[in-house]
Amino acid sequence: MADNAFLLDTTKCTGCRGCQVACKQWNGLPGEQTEFFAGPEYTNPRELSSITWNHVKFFDVDRSNPEHPVWQIMHKKCFHCEDANCMKVCPERAISKVDGWVVIDQSKCIGCGACVNECIYHVPHIRQSDSKTYKCNACTVNEREIPACAFACPTGALTYGNRTALLQDAQSRLKKYTHASRDAEGNEIPAVFPKAQLYGKDQFGGLKMLVILKDRPSKYGLEENPRPLEITKVEHMHDTYALLSMFTLGIPSLKRMAYRLSKSSTASSSDSKIS
Amino acid sequence: MANTFGRGAMTNHWIDIQHADVILVIGSNAAENHPISFKYVLKAKENGAKLISVDPRITRTTSVADLYAPLRCGTDIAFMGGIINYALQNNKIQKEYVVEYTNASLLVNPSFGFNDGLFTGYDRGNRKYGKDTWSYQLDSKGIPKKDVTLQDPNCVYQLMKKHFERYTPEKVSAITGCPKDTFLKVADVYTSTHKPDKVATIMYAMGTTQHTIGTQNIRTYAMLQLLMGNVGMAGGGINALRGESNVQGSTDYALLWHILPGYLGIPQTKKDVDFKTYVKNNTPKTNDPMSVNWWQHKPKYLVSLLKAWYGDAATKENNFCFDWLPKASKPYPHIVLFEDMFAGQHKGAILMGTNPVVGGPDSSREAKALERLEWLVCADLWETDTSVFWKRPGANPAAIQTEVFLLPMASSVEKEGSVSNSGRWAQWRYKAQEPPGQARSDLWLVDAMFRELQKLYKADVAAGKRCALPDPIIKGNWDYTHPGEHEPDPHLVAREINGYEWGSKKLVKNFTVLKDDGSTACGNWLYGGSYTEEGNMMARRGTKDTANKLGMYPEWSWCWPVNRRIIYNRASVNRQGQPWNPKKWVVKWNGSEWKGDVIDGGGAPDKKNPFIMLPEGVGRLFAAGLADGPFPEHYEPMESPTRNLMNSQAVNPAAVILDSVKGRFGNSAQYPYVGTSYRVTEHWQAGAMTRNLPWLTELVPDMFCEISPELASQKGITNGDKVKIISKRGTIEARALVTSRIRAWNINGKSVEMVGMVWHFGHGCAVSGDSCNTLTPHIGDANTMIPEFKAFLVDIKKA
Repeated sequence: MADNAFLLDTTKCTGCRGCQVACKQWNGLPGEQTEFFAGPEYTNPRELSSITWNHVKFFDVDRSNPEHPVWQIMHKKCFHCEDANCMKVCPERAISKVDGWVVIDQSKCIGCGACVNECIYHVPHIRQSDSKTYKCNACTVNEREIPACAFACPTGALTYGNRTALLQDAQSRLKKYTHASRDAEGNEIPAVFPKAQLYGKDQFGGLKMLVILKDRPSKYGLEENPRPLEITKVEHMHDTYALLSMFTLGIPSLKRMAYRLSKSSTASSSDSKIS
Repeated sequence: MANTFGRGAMTNHWIDIQHADVILVIGSNAAENHPISFKYVLKAKENGAKLISVDPRITRTTSVADLYAPLRCGTDIAFMGGIINYALQNNKIQKEYVVEYTNASLLVNPSFGFNDGLFTGYDRGNRKYGKDTWSYQLDSKGIPKKDVTLQDPNCVYQLMKKHFERYTPEKVSAITGCPKDTFLKVADVYTSTHKPDKVATIMYAMGTTQHTIGTQNIRTYAMLQLLMGNVGMAGGGINALRGESNVQGSTDYALLWHILPGYLGIPQTKKDVDFKTYVKNNTPKTNDPMSVNWWQHKPKYLVSLLKAWYGDAATKENNFCFDWLPKASKPYPHIVLFEDMFAGQHKGAILMGTNPVVGGPDSSREAKALERLEWLVCADLWETDTSVFWKRPGANPAAIQTEVFLLPMASSVEKEGSVSNSGRWAQWRYKAQEPPGQARSDLWLVDAMFRELQKLYKADVAAGKRCALPDPIIKGNWDYTHPGEHEPDPHLVAREINGYEWGSKKLVKNFTVLKDDGSTACGNWLYGGSYTEEGNMMARRGTKDTANKLGMYPEWSWCWPVNRRIIYNRASVNRQGQPWNPKKWVVKWNGSEWKGDVIDGGGAPDKKNPFIMLPEGVGRLFAAGLADGPFPEHYEPMESPTRNLMNSQAVNPAAVILDSVKGRFGNSAQYPYVGTSYRVTEHWQAGAMTRNLPWLTELVPDMFCEISPELASQKGITNGDKVKIISKRGTIEARALVTSRIRAWNINGKSVEMVGMVWHFGHGCAVSGDSCNTLTPHIGDANTMIPEFKAFLVDIKKA
């Protein structure tokens, strides 16, 4: 099984949103009805949705150094956690690893919203029309060699390849960005992004979306040390659900009810969501 | 650029940008509008290059830049003139290059002068310069005199130094609003490339050109690159970024009023009364043996063009039907055309792939002009804001008599032909699929129209009807369809463009074999070599690189002239033919021949000068060919928030102010803020395509403006509010994006705010919004009359 990943180097991203459009095109997803901008800046739509599987988040510009303003622009989609909360919590086992990627099998999904509740990155979303949950599947479903977003990226900000190799690459880039250097005449050149950090090396057992950020993750709404869902917390819920399911005759709406009952009857997961 | 170097085109090419040590992006938001080619800028950065973004606001380009310098809209000359001054005062020039390859050492007529913003020869009444004093001193052989020590007070170098002395860092800061220290930092980084082994490139676009001083803006960049010795070098040059994929093609093939294909000047009614006079007026001469003076061959290109157009009818006896060519009785750029249309002077118009109701300056006036037409043909992919101008908001269809024809046209993937990119590469494209329904290619339409006109004229003549001038149509050499077929073949057009021997119809290998005796025909001399007996050179996709390994890919498509990838490359070597920078050599002389890129102007190194299209043979720091002066000087935009701090002139003294628009300009008392227009990546030009695509309208659905948090707070505007933006020419509504990327400039102690707008919106597509161009003025550059879209005055209030 291939151990592939994405590397997003935001220092190279110009926010062109080719990734956002490429995903729509490849997966046949419709455009959203938006108004003005959700913000900050040009961000549209505000959040991922069942028909928007990646979007580009623009943050407010940091003008503290007037000659080198920092405008963080970040492609955001499912991080494909090694130790994914969504996979653990799904009562129907609809979420599994396909080629290492976290993929929802809509044929099994009942739209109960468990994964929506447990994902701290707000990735999966339920589609009203069919009550099923959708998110990025790293183009494993409509197959391609290189996922559409990475393929479309014109600047090489978003790349795709072997995770170990990408990690090494990321580390050496970080070194370059965060350290001062000297030019041919011996003059010091200050570090271009002294506060740059890598996100995704260890979170949730390791993310398959590695991101080089221009500053610390918490500035961009990313939790630095998220605690993965403890499996024991959901085991009891799953057991209750398995029992109740027997009476649902496979009807999705009844299954959703069974899920809600199981959830409320057991001690609910204590991991509060931090945006 | 044509006036400084000899050709008006990007000197290098996209891939070459990766070789720069410093990239100065000014008057351009390259990351925004050229997102794919921008990867070469990022490649340069990976190799250690420094990216400088000079812009009125922080843009997507700024987001990946190493250094940002704010600049008030329309003050490029102050900024870059300041860098010229910095370079000269600090001796940061590539001395040998400047002495050998520019006109720095040439002596100017001692009567030439400059005072308080005016050069000698100014006719205030007509807003025009007489250029007699803008000339060189000539020796007995008619060759310009020079002083290679650069000390003579009349030498170009000393005149230039004196001219830019006034552009001190303090003055620059007061005019542009850029903090002095930041300006000096930019000057320092940029001028570090005066060293022979360091190179900078300047990337510019509409932010530079769309001003009443647009051409002179470019002149400052060109002068700087000459002073740094960066022209002709890998990673250097002036990279003018075209605003559309085939604009280079459009100017090469003379879609502008003032030229014929290949940049031959259009004959002017008053001056070029006949063929002989035209040739005399337009063929430069020089007695300098070092000057290649390539335009001396102009008569060959003109005659070959006439032969291509008029075929057998064009003979030596009738001067190849020169008299049949339309002549220009006055300048006829876009603004003049629409003013004439507004005055009711046109019966009809054919608009192909253009949307002036959104994209034209003073667009509501241009829409009103369309109402004066009896008929209008819009040839476009589908309905556009212009094709439905007659039912735009505020229009009364019942009162509009224009008959509108909407012709469906094929898109770029539904037809075959070439596209010439910014880097002069003509890349042939095949047809990927048939156009839908009845949609046709532009070639089909033009061909069908011409052949129908021929038929109608022939019938009228046969019936004895009075016809104005039928012969150029009836006897036109027009044959682009193979016998038995119904569609014209673009290959036949391409072959004619390349040129061929009239007798044998054999394709020529390039323009060097064209003649002025009617024995050759050529649709565009510049493209000689693009389609030869060996085949369609533009369709090649070879990936072999040149010996210098610079990414020139000489076998990938074909570029003009004669597949030379970096023009003026002869300036990249010294007089012995050895590269200034051996690590990134473009060409080099090995004792008997040139290696690398196609050498500019053949022969041994020290026999010829590198700027072959200019009669002097050297790059012009002093350029007398422009309407508004041989040196750039800062003037304010037509609508300005401040008095001119550099001289007592307000707007460019040579900018044409048409009588018909005299009342249509506002002042800063009524309209206190600087208005400017620009684009976003997500929309394309006047929006006729992108405002119909849901994936794109998801990203940018509404007309919006950008203002600073301070201006927003002053006006009680919060992010997302509807606002009204007002200029002397109209009012529009937009949503306000309040952003810290915009900040007021300190202009000589006064705080001046900006209202930035995108201009993609109109009311004829799936997604609508008011058009920014309702606000822009009908005035333009003194030389080209490209409209001043980039700096005007507005007011803003909550709607």
